[in-house]
Amino acid sequence: MVGKIKTELGAALGNIEIGEVNYRERGYHLCCEVASGEIVKVARFFDERGFYLAAEICVDYKEYLELVYIFGNHAALCRVKVALKVDPAKPIAPTISTVFDCAYWYEREIREFFGVTFEGHPNMTYLFLHEGIDYYPLRKGQVPVSDEDKKSLGSFQPEGAEDTFCINLGPQHPSTHGVLRVVLKMDGEYIEEAEPVLGYLHRMHEKMAENRGYLQFHANTGRMDYLGAMAFNLGYVTAVERMCGIAVPDRANYVRVIATELNRLSSHLMWLGAYLADLGALTPFLFVFDDREQINDILEPVTGSRLTYSYFRFGGLYNDVDEAFIPATKAFVERMKSRFVLYEKLVGGNVIFINRTRGIGVITKERARKQAVSGPVLRAAGIAMDMRKTEPCAAYGAMDFDVPVGTHGDALDIYHVRVKEMENAVRIIEQALAGLPEGPVMAEKVPKKLKPPKGDIYHTVETPRGELGIYIVSDESDTPYRMKWRVPSFSNLMVFPELAKGNLLADTVAILGALDLVIPEIDR
Amino acid sequence: MEQLASIIGWEALKMIVGLIGVLAFVVVNALILTWAERKVAGHMQRRIGPKEVGPYGLIQPIADALKLLGKEILTPRAVDKPLYYAAPMLIFIPVLVSFVVIPFDASLVVKDINVGILVILAFSSLSMFSILMAGWGSNNKYALMGAIRSIAQNIAYEIPILLSLLPVIMMTNSFSLKSIVEAQNGLWFVFYQPLAFCIYFIAGVAETNRTPFDLPEAESELVAGYHTEYSGMRFALFFLAEYTNMFIVSAIAVTFFLGGYQGPFLPGIIWFLLKSYLLVFVIMWLKWTFPRVRFDQLLNISWKALIPLSFINLLITGGLLKL
Repeated sequence: MVGKIKTELGAALGNIEIGEVNYRERGYHLCCEVASGEIVKVARFFDERGFYLAAEICVDYKEYLELVYIFGNHAALCRVKVALKVDPAKPIAPTISTVFDCAYWYEREIREFFGVTFEGHPNMTYLFLHEGIDYYPLRKGQVPVSDEDKKSLGSFQPEGAEDTFCINLGPQHPSTHGVLRVVLKMDGEYIEEAEPVLGYLHRMHEKMAENRGYLQFHANTGRMDYLGAMAFNLGYVTAVERMCGIAVPDRANYVRVIATELNRLSSHLMWLGAYLADLGALTPFLFVFDDREQINDILEPVTGSRLTYSYFRFGGLYNDVDEAFIPATKAFVERMKSRFVLYEKLVGGNVIFINRTRGIGVITKERARKQAVSGPVLRAAGIAMDMRKTEPCAAYGAMDFDVPVGTHGDALDIYHVRVKEMENAVRIIEQALAGLPEGPVMAEKVPKKLKPPKGDIYHTVETPRGELGIYIVSDESDTPYRMKWRVPSFSNLMVFPELAKGNLLADTVAILGALDLVIPEIDR
Repeated sequence: MEQLASIIGWEALKMIVGLIGVLAFVVVNALILTWAERKVAGHMQRRIGPKEVGPYGLIQPIADALKLLGKEILTPRAVDKPLYYAAPMLIFIPVLVSFVVIPFDASLVVKDINVGILVILAFSSLSMFSILMAGWGSNNKYALMGAIRSIAQNIAYEIPILLSLLPVIMMTNSFSLKSIVEAQNGLWFVFYQPLAFCIYFIAGVAETNRTPFDLPEAESELVAGYHTEYSGMRFALFFLAEYTNMFIVSAIAVTFFLGGYQGPFLPGIIWFLLKSYLLVFVIMWLKWTFPRVRFDQLLNISWKALIPLSFINLLITGGLLKL
């Protein structure tokens, strides 16, 4: 696949040099640099071949701004990095939101953080920073926002036409699970347009990363996705380990898998409870908390926390699991098997639940690809992509598990995919417990201050919500030069406006819930 | 007493005493039901519910009521004041009137009129006006949507309620609740009219705006529906009305289908309350088990299933009675 894409891309672009890089070090196979006029052509090229736009990243190299486009493929592991140099004095680039729908938000984000204007973009307004900003936050050095730019960025003003009215779903609303605000333009009970308004929880983690050492930033990672903190920790430490070439002992890898899967279970259980509460059934919420509590009780003595873990370290673990951990986990796994049967009886077979979720929020394969949807939502659409299978980190490569897929892509399929994922998480935990080797849990001679070699990496892991991509640029100093988090909820929320259109308000809530959004992750 | 009676007449005195009794019952009933609801919900959710205030948490509802009384009564600036103020008071009138005609025991009825059930049905439709007033007067989009939903729901479900009660009325040839109870001396009407009972009960749950039919106040969609802008005691009045409605729906079901106050050994009122609270428990059980139906599904259940079924039931009953 990589070779084929290389020759085809070379033929399509003519005289441009396409470099083949070491995938183990970089996380992508091919890289090339294109001129500003070519990028739309390149995007079309990848679109025709069924690629998706995993991330659009901007890096300020002082002499120039670099726009990085990461294209990935659902069917095979083939990742291409396309770079585009932009003049920092007059940052203008053509938009590719006409080709890939997900670029619509990616480019708005780059606009307000770097000041790059995308020509042809339909709506170059603020996405996260609503109050207006004086400086572009992620540019190196102080680059002021000109008055002209401030005016053009503008702020979001909902307007209703005749016969319709606007209603604010959030930022304080029971079913947005946090501070997401969705402005709904409604015609009676039907949604005509839905516009998510972000930034109520924006903390600029990416800027924080540039100001502290690699280990210091570790604690931030769990704060992005508070429900799946372990997977974010895992992504971050494995990315940095991959850059520095640190080998992790086997035992640590196995424990990492167990801890991450336990956390995935607790995240999915939380979703199950919250989703049914969205649909009006309040009782399952308390049932899942019963199980969640047990997971927290298992992880607490080992990791030292119950929600925002920082258990993994570069090179291994903070400490080894204790005596009680393994029997407690085994007992819990046994218990969960009977609980799945209970949930199926309580929820899965309920006629009201089925009628509420069947056929709503249908995500087609094509839409899933164009919007760069990932995780259970993508798998419900019928695309079997799981980063644990395609790019296994830690000990996932040694585990035997299924990647459940749906057939219709509706909310009911998302429910089934998540339930089956929980069952598979139990399977993985069992295998990891059985195969848990003895030995140290920390690599020897890991320096206190990490200074990864110069270069960049795009590293992915599967969080409970989907593909987490971490793009790190190192300049050989002890702080990252640029760190970009491609978070799954952000991409998954992007499909929401399309799905909500023409639906009833109640369905909108059901669709929003099915996506399983974690707002701090979107806002970062 | 007799002096007072000679001034205003026995009938009027009986009415006044009855109304006071009804008021007392409404308040006590709501207190018991809030406690029961929390206990039922607790046990269904694998917790124990209130237990700290009083034995088994029995004093909890009084503590809750005191808390609501002590709360500042907020009035949002942009509300339509007359409607906004009147709504929580008016929602109580139909509830009170319904109690006047319900026979708690053979002799325990404030006034047994010969069109009893019609009075209840007529007044229970009135409660939707106060919901509309609350929704419109609040000047809040969520509240308005809740009110609109409530009206559509009321219109859709009042028809099956009436149609499912009609077979019983045809069998007894009476609108008086007392004579309907007396007619069930032998076998309860639920055995003659199981379908009508089911239709009535489903529609009744919908009338009380409770899960799975709680769309007017759907928490996850409309925040709190028509009473979003109400706080403190005004909110408590809506709350009180909802719980009382729950009891009325159950009481009518008991009167029409489950033999009312009739039963062996125990006094009639005990039987009546036992049966009524059993149905109230079923309504609570539904709430803590089911998700909420969608708006179009809600209307479909009524117009496409309950109403045709109750018409068929009515036809069959009529045919059999003629034979």
